[in-house]
Amino acid sequence: MAATRILLAALALPGLVQAENAPDKSTLSVKYLDYQDSQPNLDRIHVRSPAIDIAVPVAGVWLLRASVVSDLISGASPRYHTAVSGASRFEETRKGVDAAVTRYFPRASVTLAAGRSGEHDYVSRFVSAQASFASDDNNTTWLVGAGVANDRINPVNDAVENEHKRVVDLMAGVTRVLTPADIVQALLTHVRGEGYYSNPYKYIDQRPRHQRQHSLMLRWNHHFGGSGATSRSSYRYYTDSNGVDSHTLLGEYVRPFADGWTVTPSLRLYSQSAARFYFDPVYDTRFGPPFPPGYSFTDGRDRSADQRLSAYGAATVGLKVEKEIGADTTVDVKLEQYKQRGEWRAFGSGSKGLQAFSARSIQVGITTRW
Amino acid sequence: MVGSFSVRFGAMASKCEVRLAASSQAHADALAQCAIDEVARIEAAFSRYRPGTIVSRINDAAGRDWVDLDSETEALLGYADTLFEGSEGKFDITSGVLRRAWDFRQGRVPAQAALAPLLELVGWQRVQRAPGRIRLPQAGMELDFGGFGKEYAADRAAAILKAAGARHGYVNLGGDLHVFGPQPDGSAWMIGIQDPRDAGRTIASIPVQAGALATSGDYERFFEQDGKRYCHVLDPASGFPVGYWRSVSVLAPLAIAAGSYATITLLLEERGLDFLRDSGLAFLAVDHQGRVFNEKRSHMGSASGLP
Amino acid sequence: MIRALIIGVAMVALAGCAMQPVQPWEKGMLAKKAMSFETDKLEAKFAEHTYSSKEGASGGAGVGGGGCGCN
Repeated sequence: MAATRILLAALALPGLVQAENAPDKSTLSVKYLDYQDSQPNLDRIHVRSPAIDIAVPVAGVWLLRASVVSDLISGASPRYHTAVSGASRFEETRKGVDAAVTRYFPRASVTLAAGRSGEHDYVSRFVSAQASFASDDNNTTWLVGAGVANDRINPVNDAVENEHKRVVDLMAGVTRVLTPADIVQALLTHVRGEGYYSNPYKYIDQRPRHQRQHSLMLRWNHHFGGSGATSRSSYRYYTDSNGVDSHTLLGEYVRPFADGWTVTPSLRLYSQSAARFYFDPVYDTRFGPPFPPGYSFTDGRDRSADQRLSAYGAATVGLKVEKEIGADTTVDVKLEQYKQRGEWRAFGSGSKGLQAFSARSIQVGITTRW
Repeated sequence: MVGSFSVRFGAMASKCEVRLAASSQAHADALAQCAIDEVARIEAAFSRYRPGTIVSRINDAAGRDWVDLDSETEALLGYADTLFEGSEGKFDITSGVLRRAWDFRQGRVPAQAALAPLLELVGWQRVQRAPGRIRLPQAGMELDFGGFGKEYAADRAAAILKAAGARHGYVNLGGDLHVFGPQPDGSAWMIGIQDPRDAGRTIASIPVQAGALATSGDYERFFEQDGKRYCHVLDPASGFPVGYWRSVSVLAPLAIAAGSYATITLLLEERGLDFLRDSGLAFLAVDHQGRVFNEKRSHMGSASGLP
Repeated sequence: MIRALIIGVAMVALAGCAMQPVQPWEKGMLAKKAMSFETDKLEAKFAEHTYSSKEGASGGAGVGGGGCGCN
């Protein structure tokens, strides 16, 4: 059409179209998480986690980011299934540091990141790269990314010594602006890992040394012009070589009010199938718990009694309240309650015989820009 | 505390303004200077009157030599060619010579004998072009960038401000605007469209977060005789002014595009409405009887004061 | 399975192809923080760490991040 050719010709004139992506303000965020999980009549893990994140734009085309997260973990975790009598008490400190550099171009951006996370029995180091490319009208953005993580494991109980694990992840995706009020995104992730995946603190836990994971994440944000609210929805399908297939559905409704208040209720629904090698709390008649029926000390087969790998459904309800203080500072509080139940599994029957698992968390944070 | 400040200046025979977010008027003046300098550069570079500019060199060599082009001029001439094709030959940057016959200050309609020799000198299709070079085939022919120079300058000024980190504000060159970012609080700028028959009134207020608004009308330079208005937008075939539209305003990502669509609509007269609708852009047009046509294209916002 | 996932991405990539492209001056609502997919970074970090240490699935939204001895 001749009419649109004029607009395209104007857009093609040199020196008129500019980059729109680099942020113009520095941001500092401090947040504190207090997390407690439990099963009936027993508190399990308590985590207290202060975290800090800082992002500084440089020369309008660079963004430097760094963050430090510290976890103080204490409590009891079952040695197998949800056996209370086998609970092990421990205390652990984990510290994670990561930094990223982003360079913005007129229609693209590239980010390089690296980090290290350590606790006294587990150290993980990673590097990653991610790039985005936008179409001429900025309505479509392609994303690609790759990362490598190297872990070293030295459990305190000496179940194994100097074990390692290497994980490579690849991601590709696309974001599309559909209407002035709708934006959607699809991301495909492929992860492959080699090395020690077992949990050395659980009895009878041996997991495959080669693992592959795939996930598809679909996201949709919709703005309601009338109320100024935004709905944020996402669905993730996950499948891995251990036989765990899961579905995650998340919905948030961001509702602003007068005087800089914003309230965001959220609901997350989760359902997963059990790993191939997960066994129910039914034990061998000769050896008793924690040994599964027909257990052999020498067959070298993969097995796990870890509740995390059983089949179950879970739901989280959350509420976040934010308040703007002045033009550049925001404080936020988020409360969440999580419950996990075998019988809540969608698309199949959940694992039986496990105690219900619950968790509550509260986060408080402050963010300031300058 | 950041507010928005206006920096006013004169350029391209118009009142101009750079509005941007800054911590003080002095800060705004300093930030706007690069944009003001760019507008001055473009006005000087494409002037027909100053000797030595690319346009005067091309015009002086008419009927004789080929002239080498810099990349900016060549790109703009390529754009002018697209406008010629897209307007059925009505947007013609060689038609500037016709203005010699029209005296808007005296307000006299020229005789056909005065127009005929000038019409001989009009015709973009006759201009000779080769990569990096151009030649006007007949002495007396002239190129005139006035049809999009102001809008181009607004886009370049906005690009320079954005590259310097400005995220809130607009460049306004005599009514052709390029908004490069919303107000500091994130809300849109409300841009008024002038009533083509009453300079003190606006007929609509358009909210613009980012993008350009340009207006072409019959009220910028004109005279009236025997109840008929003669404006400065001339049809290249007849040499006479167009008269179907009083004003046309168009919203587009760039001011140069918005201005081109608005001017071409004026030149196409009654066929202009179809052209505007086909463009897919939001517009507001007032015809010679005062009837208003507008197309919102989703979030153009409410237009207040429309009949 | 992989093919289904790739088709899912392709569908989103092609979504809206038939609709009028959104113009720059219409993107006011899209510029709001809540409309971006980049959430509060620390909140996202906490969420990923919490869920990946309590559930069998992990990741999906990005690359990198490393592991931990979550027990």
